[in-house]
Order: sequence, then C-alpha cells, then structure tokens
Amino acid sequence: MRSITKCIFCAALLCLLAVFPVFSAPKYTIGMSQCNLGEPWRVQMNADIKNEADKHPEIKMVFKDAQNDVLQQRAQVEEFVSAKIDLLIISPKEAQPLAEPVSKAMSAGIPVIVLDRDIIGQNYTEFIGADNVKIGRAVGAWLVKNYGGKGAKVVEIMGLQTSTPGQDRHSGFLDAIKGSDLDVIFRADAKWLEPDARKEMESALSRYDKIDIVYGHNDPSAHGAYIAAQAAGREKGMVFVGIDSLPHEGVAYVKQGILTATFQYPTGGGEAILQALKIFKGEKVPKRITLGSRMFTKDNVDAGGVAIP
Amino acid sequence: MLGEIREPLRRDAGAGSKAGARAGGMHGVLQSLARALTSTAGRACLGLVLVLFLGVIFNADGAFFKEGTHRDTLRQSSVYGILACGMTLVMLTGGIDLSVGGVLAVSSVSFSLLTMHMDWPWWLAIIACLFLGSALGSASGALISNAKLQPFIATLALMTFARGFAKYITGGQKISTYVTQGDKVIIKQLPTVFKVIDSRILGGNLAIVSVIFLVCFIAAWILLARHKWGRELYSIGGNEEAARLSGVPVRMAKFLAYTFSGLMCGVAGICQAAQETQGDPEAGAGYELTAIAMVAIGGTSLAGGRGSMGLTLLGILTIGYLQKILSINAVAEAYRLMITGIIIVLAVLTQKRRSR
Repeated sequence: MRSITKCIFCAALLCLLAVFPVFSAPKYTIGMSQCNLGEPWRVQMNADIKNEADKHPEIKMVFKDAQNDVLQQRAQVEEFVSAKIDLLIISPKEAQPLAEPVSKAMSAGIPVIVLDRDIIGQNYTEFIGADNVKIGRAVGAWLVKNYGGKGAKVVEIMGLQTSTPGQDRHSGFLDAIKGSDLDVIFRADAKWLEPDARKEMESALSRYDKIDIVYGHNDPSAHGAYIAAQAAGREKGMVFVGIDSLPHEGVAYVKQGILTATFQYPTGGGEAILQALKIFKGEKVPKRITLGSRMFTKDNVDAGGVAIP
Repeated sequence: MLGEIREPLRRDAGAGSKAGARAGGMHGVLQSLARALTSTAGRACLGLVLVLFLGVIFNADGAFFKEGTHRDTLRQSSVYGILACGMTLVMLTGGIDLSVGGVLAVSSVSFSLLTMHMDWPWWLAIIACLFLGSALGSASGALISNAKLQPFIATLALMTFARGFAKYITGGQKISTYVTQGDKVIIKQLPTVFKVIDSRILGGNLAIVSVIFLVCFIAAWILLARHKWGRELYSIGGNEEAARLSGVPVRMAKFLAYTFSGLMCGVAGICQAAQETQGDPEAGAGYELTAIAMVAIGGTSLAGGRGSMGLTLLGILTIGYLQKILSINAVAEAYRLMITGIIIVLAVLTQKRRSR
C-alpha cells in the first residue's frame, strides 16, 4: 500500500517537473561544457558567458564541468544531445577525443560553438578563440619598442611547455625579439604556477646581478617573480609583464603597480552568447573568429586598456 | 644537527653492531666510522652529501656558493618541511597522509579570506586556521583509528574532500587583496601579518617561514624522542597488535598522529598564503608526494616503526637542495623530472639495509 502511495507521489512530482518549464520557459536552452573549472581563467569564461546570457531572458544556460577529464566531457556532450538542447558551447579538453561527440551533436541538429581550443575535423558551426602566438608576439614587440637599444636582460618564466599555449606564447615572443638587443638570460618552466615562478625567479636573482625585464607567460607567474624580486629588494626599476588580464589578477596587479603591463587573453565567453543569438535568428556566422587582445598599463587601466592591432 | 641524529644512531645500534662485527679486527676508529656510515643516519647523510656535491660541480657560475641561494633553499623547503614533520609521525605508525596538500589549501584560503576579506584580527585568523587544519586531520584520524579504514583510503578521501572544500569556500577563484563587494571593486592593503610572515630576520638571513618550520620541527622532535606518545607511535609502527596487548592506547595515539599532521597542514597553509600574498584553492597540489619523498629519503620506513625527525631533516634538505640546484642551472622540466626520479632511487638504494 505504502509503495503505491510512493509511486503516485513520484509520478505527480515528475508531472509537475515536466509541466513546470512551460510556465517560465525561456525560448532557448544553451548547454556549456567546460573542460576544467580548476583554472581561474576558465571560471572567468563561465562568468563571462553567464553575464552575457543574463542580459537575454530568452536564454537558459546549463553549465557542466568535466573536471579535466576527457571521457567525462564526452559523456556530458552526449547528455546534452539527449536532452535536446538548442545549442552547445564547448571548451574542449582535447582536440581528438571530442571530435566524434561534437559531430554527433551536429548531426542531431544542434549547432556547436567551440571555444578556445580547436577540434580536429572542424565539424562544428563556429570556432571562437584567441591567438597565443600573436599575443606572445605583441609582448615581444612592445618590449622591444619601449626597452630596446639598452641591452636589457630578460628572464622568461614560461607556462607549461608541454601545453600549446605555453609553446605559442614562447615562440611568438622569440619571433618578435629576433634581431633586437633584448637578451634572454634565464628561462624556466613554472608550469603556470605562482609558487614555482617565485622559486625560479629567486634562482635567476641569485645567479644574475642585472635583470631588467621579466616576462611571465601568465600574470600569476609575473606576480610570483615580482614577489621574489621584492624579497631580494630588487623590484625597483624592473619591468614585469604578464598575459591573461583577468580582472582580479593581471588587471588588479597593474592597478597596484606590481606589473608594468598585462596582455589580455580573452575568454570569448560573451562573444559566444552573441554569436549564439545570431545562430538562433538564422543569420550566417563565420566559421572562425579570432578574438582581438587588449593591453593594460598603469596609464590606461582605468579606461579599460587599449586594443592591440 | 648532531643532537638530532644521535637519536636514530642509538635506535640503529642493533644494525650498527652487525656492521661492526663484519668489520671486526679493524682499528676502532675505522670501526666506528663504518658503523656511522652504515647507520640509517649515515646513509641519509650520504644522500645529502651526494646532492651537495652535485651543487658544487654544477654551481651555475658560482650562484651555488652565494649565501642567498642557501637562505632561499631553506625558505623554499620550509612549507614542504612543515608537512613532512606531520608526515613523519604518521608514517612511523605505518600509515600515510595523502591529504596534506588539500588541507594546506583549505588553511591557505581560509587564512586569506578571514584576514583580507573579513578583517579578522590576525591572531584569531591563525587560531581558526590551525583549528580547521587539526579538525580535518582528526576527521581522517577518527576514520582510521575508530572506523578502521586504511590510512591510504581515508586520507585519499580527505584529500579529495579538502580540495573540493577549498574550491567551495572560494568559488574557484583566488582570494587576494582585490575584493568585489556587489558591483564595487576595492583593492585592500595587504594585511601586516602577511608581510611579517614573509619577512626575514637576523639581518635578512633567516626567513620567518624557516623559523616557523624549525619551531614545528623541534616540537615534533621533542614529541617523538622525549614524550611517551612518541614511544607509543614507534611501538604501533613496529607491531600494532603487540603494542595494543602491552597496554598502548593505540586508537588515541593514531588519532592524535593524524590530528597533528592536520595541525601542521594548518601552519603550512598560513605560510603558503603569506608567501603567495593570496589564498589559492589549487595550492599544495602534489605537495603530499614531495613530503612523503622527503620522509622516505631520510630513511623513515613506509612500513612504520623505524625513523626519526633527524632523518626527516636530512631528507628535507636533500630534496630541497636538489630542487634548488636544478633551478639555478635552469634545467629544462623534462630533465628535471628524470633527474629527480633517479636521485630518489639512488638515495633510497643507499638507504636499503644490506645487513638483512
């Protein structure tokens, strides 16, 4: 008897749940599959998406975090497909293993916007991302323009060198300083981690008496290097440059006078929602959007930085 | 440091005398030298000497001989060292604590949150973080001693939980002096306590974090070598059943060992936050392995019952110097990992008791 009541109750609840969305239904459901929310930059990407989506009441966002696990992300994409969402935004962990689930979503008639990392086969509606080589090059060019010609000694605190962003930020930078008199005297892989950056910078400081410029592949690295220099009493007159420009990291460091400059690596979160709206309206969207970057220094940080050509 | 090594020497007298008997007939001095070298402490020293020797050869244009390099090495090893203090006690019971990195992160973000965002007085924040660390440690302690979970499983669970907890209280972002209140953004002053912990004393020659490490080290050493509880930990590691039958309060002693490890994580988290000038929920990832390696390289057995704080200090310095030497030579990451692996094997091989 009791189990029958339970059944009826459950059924009633299910009906209620099924009917409920009809009353307050936004027109479109967008699924967002984030590969890893352990990184502040990706947390920012989700925040950018949410901020933009909140401006459009017709959109309902569903966020999923794959916790840095390819198979989990694959399962999430499949869940989204069977839930029949209207559009999928994915920031994939890896190019190869996610190609198939994404193309399944496409063949189920769900448009897909790929953010940040590309997918092999390119079977998706649109790719939005920034170019690390270009940003690395912009850092190099800016340093040559402002500090070239004085034989400046450079320390490069690199991001994980087994990751594409780390390699690209390095190669773009090298490309831009080629032929200039900027001299990279010390180079270490801090794996994007601030405590490691501090340790590596301390080694550089104990080894070299003259260091003029520190280029960190991300803002926390540049910040860690700054703390090391400060502890040695040598931060004055040293130039610290980082990449990413998250509001509460790089941009805040520039405001506090810790970093000389930070170069933005945009998340594309807001742009993804704008593009999704275009897709819903049936407008044609480009296959590929490369986001522009911005640069923040003490002079322009309050005005929101300047765009880099 | 000699005083700290005397302890293991005495404990290893059994093994030493075997070695001595082998060397029988030799001159007395040679005999005692052989005994010292074949003792656990002697072999742990050998590992450190090996690494320092590498430093002398690969001195990076003399950077290895600069005073600052050694000061930095001690400071950089301090957080690991504090964790290794708690780890030694746990490993002596035959257990292991995988949760140290996660609990460190909880302490680190809590300390930043309380002092930077909530404006608690520094002493209250420190007490709260130490309490939080101990409480988390005691949770795994209770699971192990009362619910009889295996230490590996219980602390693995706590490691996962603590990492999640750190992310939960921070919302996945770093806690820094950059505070958002509604739409407004305020950049606060770095609390004085952060500057104090990250400063140096004795004319800039000793970092406060190193002092904190040394205090933790001496506390753990006294507890282990001079206190009844320490003896109990050794006996539990030697043979838990025998210890129980001879009246050792096994449950309580083990529970306290994990609680102490949690307390050390609390201390380490505060030091980590001060050095980073922020609370990072990802802080301390992988630190548990470094701490375990430091304790094991010193010669404390993973099976329990054998080891000491003096040995752990040797282990801490060995790994600390190895990292520093690789760093000043700007060795690429791939080589660094391979070299570290090889050195760990070499150090543990010299540890292996050939007398059995």
